[in-house]
Amino acid sequence: MQELRETDEFGSVARRTRVTAVFVGLAVMLGACVALNLCHGSVSVPLDELGQILWGAQEGGTNAQVIWSIRLPRLIAAGLLGGALALAGFLLQTFFNNPIAGPYILGISSGAKLAVATTMILVIGRGATTSSWMLVLAAFVGSLATMLLVLVASRRTASVSSLIVVGVMIGYICSAITDFIVTFASDAHVVNLRSWSMGSFSGTSWANVHVIAVMVLAATVCVCALSKPLGAFQLGEGYARSVGVDTRRFRLVLIVLSSLLAGCVTAFAGPISFVGIAVPHVVKRLLGTSRPLFVVPACFLGGAVFCLFCDLVARSVFAPTEVSVSAVTAIFGAPIVIAMLVGRQRRGY
Amino acid sequence: MLERHDSSALMAKGLAVGYDGAPLVSNIDLTVAAKGIVTLIGPNGAGKSTLLKTVSGQLAPLGGAVWISGRPLERLSAHERALELSVMLTDRLKTELLTCADVVEMGRYPHTGRMGIATEADRRKMREAMEMTHVWDLRRRDFMQLSDGQRQRVLLARAICQEPRLLVLDEPTSYLDIHYQIELLAVLRELVASRDVGVLMSLHELPLAWRVSDWIVCMKDGAIMAQGTPSEMCVPEVIDELYDLEPGTFDPVTGMIELGKRAR
Repeated sequence: MQELRETDEFGSVARRTRVTAVFVGLAVMLGACVALNLCHGSVSVPLDELGQILWGAQEGGTNAQVIWSIRLPRLIAAGLLGGALALAGFLLQTFFNNPIAGPYILGISSGAKLAVATTMILVIGRGATTSSWMLVLAAFVGSLATMLLVLVASRRTASVSSLIVVGVMIGYICSAITDFIVTFASDAHVVNLRSWSMGSFSGTSWANVHVIAVMVLAATVCVCALSKPLGAFQLGEGYARSVGVDTRRFRLVLIVLSSLLAGCVTAFAGPISFVGIAVPHVVKRLLGTSRPLFVVPACFLGGAVFCLFCDLVARSVFAPTEVSVSAVTAIFGAPIVIAMLVGRQRRGY
Repeated sequence: MLERHDSSALMAKGLAVGYDGAPLVSNIDLTVAAKGIVTLIGPNGAGKSTLLKTVSGQLAPLGGAVWISGRPLERLSAHERALELSVMLTDRLKTELLTCADVVEMGRYPHTGRMGIATEADRRKMREAMEMTHVWDLRRRDFMQLSDGQRQRVLLARAICQEPRLLVLDEPTSYLDIHYQIELLAVLRELVASRDVGVLMSLHELPLAWRVSDWIVCMKDGAIMAQGTPSEMCVPEVIDELYDLEPGTFDPVTGMIELGKRAR
């Protein structure tokens, strides 16, 4: 008893219990979303049949075909990219010390979109085919360039809200240029380009999934390893430096990682809104702490759950017509952001 | 020759400080003994903060040399520096969902492992520091919900549990009422009495500086105007010149103010 009190004098046992509960809850929700996404659709697959298909007991049937070549790659992509988006948002919020920073609102997704669209049209226009890696690279360069542009602008404006305005404006500019390019492109590739540029997980191939898995998982491991300096950064740059963080290098690493994550999402699914702001916020509230050690993995899980859920909604509400997933994430995500801002105001942050 | 100059917590020789290569204050000679409290006083814009930022490694020196417990500052890595000195900044800290214990735990950063998980030993040091600054009872409260005085004491506990040889505080008593000001400075006296640490800080309140300091440094117009013991420095002649006051306007020890002198 004495020992229990000793170890819990900082409330760490209570915190651990809560964190465990959140992770268990997220895992259950992830499981439910996975099952729903696989079973539900134009052909519905009963749960017991799904088990057989996944164990490989049933091969060659239409349902097996649908699961293995359409739903499963799409599911994995949505999960990984959702996690990537939430993490990118968390990194940007830490970087700018601003809770409403995120890859979409800062225009980084739109920058990546512009780069990818340009690359697609140039390459396909010459009769060549685009590879996944090429698109990822283009998206990364686009994100990075936009991020640097936002950074330069934010250095000159001190206030927190003007950072967001600058980001939104840059996003508009990039989207406008993308529209011009798409307008002048020939019809053949516009069809694909259009659904992609609205944000969608449809048509993900296994080849895409391999690239996504490598990129996103590698970046996520890096972010987890950065939990300690991320925590120090939450007290501001001055304190971070004073406890021994090489803040210049760390900022650079944050820029590269968040651009990589956001770029990867845009390359495969187009720009997806609000996940980067809403998920980290909800996750922190649920955990009751903003310690990166817990928030980083929970963000990844939460982003995956949120995007799987939204993708399910996007393809089932008006089935057989698909809504863009970005529209669904906006409908669920934007109110969360508004509630967050209102709550923040009330608590006087 | 530059290794282990002496055992003072801080030593500066011919130091020049400023921003963007333009010296704001130059020719600074300064020593903070272990177990000593040195206070910088002087008018706004005299360069007190700039000097504190430079000796704590936040700003590059523009000339001269600084030794932190005998080791040249510019040769220390960020990590080594963090083991020698900790700071309390003037920035108003904005945290989200962090308890006071979380904020204090950040002081253990240089001592914890790769993932920054505090061990039982780290927790003991945190508890010692929090008890010293009387914030142990606040440990599970959200940092943002505290009063200014409580926040300053939490931040002081953070700086203390980093276990530095030198503690650098930039105006630790701003935002505080007189009760908390006195309490904070009493903690600093207790700290230097019980541990092998030197304190360098800036203060605006002269009567407090007079009471708490072992040594006072007067800064004005890009130079150190005078430095000495509190009883040498807190005399009307020095203070009047330091702050451009008419003789008799202000008694630095009692803090008594006489208005209307200028009109005469």
